[in-house]
Amino acid sequence: MRDGPLPLTLKIVAGLILAFLMLPVLVVALASVSATAYLTVPPQGVTLRWFAQVLQDPNYLQAIGFSLELAIASTILAVLLAIPACYALHHRWLPFSEAISALVLSPLIFPAVVIGVALLQYVSMMGLRGNFVMLVLAHVVIVTPYVVRTALAGLAGFDPSLEEAARVLGATRLSAFGLVVLPGIRASLLAGFVFALITSFDEVPVTVFLLPPGQATLPVTIFSAIDLGVDPSIAAVSTLLIVATLILLVMVERMAGVRRII
Amino acid sequence: METRRPLGFLLITPLGLVLLAVFVAPIAMMLPTSFRHYGAGAAAAPGWTLENYTQIATDPYFHEVLARTFTMGALVTLVCLVVGYPLAYVVARSTGAARSWLTVLVVFPLLLNLVVRSFGWMSLLANHGLLNNLLMTLGLIHAPLHLMFNLTGLIIGLTHIYLPFMVLVLVAALQALPKDAEAASATLGAGPMKTFFLVTLPLTAPGMFAGSVLVFVLTISALVTPRLLGGPAYKVMATVIYDEFLSDLDWPSGAALAFVLTLIALLIVAGAGLLTRRWTAAQ
Repeated sequence: MRDGPLPLTLKIVAGLILAFLMLPVLVVALASVSATAYLTVPPQGVTLRWFAQVLQDPNYLQAIGFSLELAIASTILAVLLAIPACYALHHRWLPFSEAISALVLSPLIFPAVVIGVALLQYVSMMGLRGNFVMLVLAHVVIVTPYVVRTALAGLAGFDPSLEEAARVLGATRLSAFGLVVLPGIRASLLAGFVFALITSFDEVPVTVFLLPPGQATLPVTIFSAIDLGVDPSIAAVSTLLIVATLILLVMVERMAGVRRII
Repeated sequence: METRRPLGFLLITPLGLVLLAVFVAPIAMMLPTSFRHYGAGAAAAPGWTLENYTQIATDPYFHEVLARTFTMGALVTLVCLVVGYPLAYVVARSTGAARSWLTVLVVFPLLLNLVVRSFGWMSLLANHGLLNNLLMTLGLIHAPLHLMFNLTGLIIGLTHIYLPFMVLVLVAALQALPKDAEAASATLGAGPMKTFFLVTLPLTAPGMFAGSVLVFVLTISALVTPRLLGGPAYKVMATVIYDEFLSDLDWPSGAALAFVLTLIALLIVAGAGLLTRRWTAAQ
């Protein structure tokens, strides 16, 4: 890539495109503090009433708790399953390593709605409809590719002579992995963990088919609320999600660098 | 190498079992369903039929749904490419703090919940939404423009969702450009425009291709945004599959459509991979 200053028109165009990317975010945030049910120009009054309404609504509070439980359980499980698998894939200890990697990463390109309906039929046949464990495992399948991708990238960038040095100095394979490799790739793992957590928390097209009766994740609750009609508390709960996402993003940028997660 | 195989199998088995039980098996078990006669919900009628597939090939309703899905995919891909390139160019050329801020701004919408983003567009594009409200207050229009529950709304919403993917792929492609290529072009007397169109653009064509394939496949598979911004009137393959499983309870028909969608998505990805390999081999 060439260096040197960029033409002003190009900067303006890029600025406009970034504004387009931020537009719905700003609108949601504005709607959440607007006194009227629909945003008007000029806005008519500012209120925090919708936030109070959300924070007192047991439906939303339950959904937030349920989403967090699901996201944390499935991300931890995905990391525990992915790390050993990535270690084996990285060292090419298995025949058909390429094909196995492709299978592990394939949920990324598989239409999510297809995984959703296939699982719906599967749990119905097995009499496990609404089973929380199945929902967690489904999320594991969806988020594992993100963990695998960042973990493999981390392992590829890790100097193997450090691990060899630990082995030469008498460490077992396991302790060399735990004391040298794992700390060496922790930034990649952290990035993968956060991305998996966000992906699970946000997932709708598979989750919507597998929810236990009477329970829903936060995005599914918002999704159903929109189906019933637009209501300002949706904007308020959405704004809370925007703020939470922003905090996580800044944390990842500080600790590992955003480039790692994509 | 050979001696490590048992350990390798041991390490991959837990993940492998979960993938087999919760991903491969459910998909495989849906295949027979797609050859069943209609029966409400899980209770498919006995006997086998090809009808679920032939109706997708012959029924004008399915033709319309397929045409809509691919029109939507092609338009969103095109808009993402045209809009994404200048932004990617600026990101790739920036350095230091500006670079990390720009990256954060591009990635942020990507991480933000799909439902929330679609809701933002609904507040903007609805008949009583912000945009129509603004235009009517300014007296530019007298009746609200129909921007939602049609192709327009879907293109806007989906472009917003998949633009960051395109930008990130293009940034990677631009960064991989040899620095000398553009400098050489300038030294040989080409202006910035000529250098861009004759050197930069052709050299980033593989990246543009990869980004387009990614955006197209993601767009034709999208469920949430088409459901919220397309509404009940503007149905695409993913929303029809959703309805056949959850409201019409015609699982065999929904399963067949699901396999058609999957097959198309996988063929595009595999075909693109093959093309890219030939491309790099030819160079």
